[in-house]
Amino acid sequence: MKQVTRNIDPASAWDLLERVPRACLCFACDHGPQAQPVVLVWQDGRYLVGIPQKADRKPEPDQEVVLLIDEGVYFFDLRALYIRGQVKQASAPREAPAADGTWVEVVPLKTVAWDYGTLREVSDER
Amino acid sequence: MNVDDPAMLDILRRCMVARIATLSCNGRPSINPLYFVCQSGRIWLGTSEWTLAARNVQADARVSVLFEVEQHMRSHRVLRISGQASVRTEQQVQRSYALRVARKYLLTPGGIGNYLAHLRQLPSMHQYHAQSAEKGRACVIEVIPQTAEWLEL
Repeated sequence: MKQVTRNIDPASAWDLLERVPRACLCFACDHGPQAQPVVLVWQDGRYLVGIPQKADRKPEPDQEVVLLIDEGVYFFDLRALYIRGQVKQASAPREAPAADGTWVEVVPLKTVAWDYGTLREVSDER
Repeated sequence: MNVDDPAMLDILRRCMVARIATLSCNGRPSINPLYFVCQSGRIWLGTSEWTLAARNVQADARVSVLFEVEQHMRSHRVLRISGQASVRTEQQVQRSYALRVARKYLLTPGGIGNYLAHLRQLPSMHQYHAQSAEKGRACVIEVIPQTAEWLEL
């Protein structure tokens, strides 16, 4: 059966990792879900995430998180990378843009990407 | 609480895509970019009942939502609103949301230009929305703000 899908191969959205229009991290904490804007550096295939030092809550090592990198305002411009993974301790990357942040690595367990500008029919929903 | 700070109201007026963080019934996190409008001190985010965001809100009403002005991304100033959310499916809510969304995202130079630039994909877009409707009703995630704070990157 044919379906229209927005999903794309994550490799087709790697440009988002190189110029990072906006990135945020989501994790659970004692008061519920926490959404935190972050700095992302994609270096040697690793997702290095800078969390501002003054952030009131930060994910614990090994905690499950979702890293979202997205761009676009109007329908056909909406694109995103959605990375579910685990947090690991990391040192600041070379040329870290935020000097006073806490750096962690998100080790991906599952990555999904979408691009509404490429809506198309496929045989099976991916 | 009421979000009545002029700077906060300004960012809510100018931001186009909100990112809403939710938890599943098992406490697993998720975050999704969604269109939104403000309605009488509440925030309405559009989605469908079958989506993870809507299912999560039905399991755990606590949400955390980020807003920033896309045209001024270099300012790195982000508004975070935390609150309680519910899933609204009433026809009156859907109609009101659809009208406001059309004014904000479609009936604007940017919105019209975006559609005109993708005329050949409009049938796929309609089919995509029809597929979504087969999976479940359109809905609005209504957020009642409890705290609002500025974040700097």
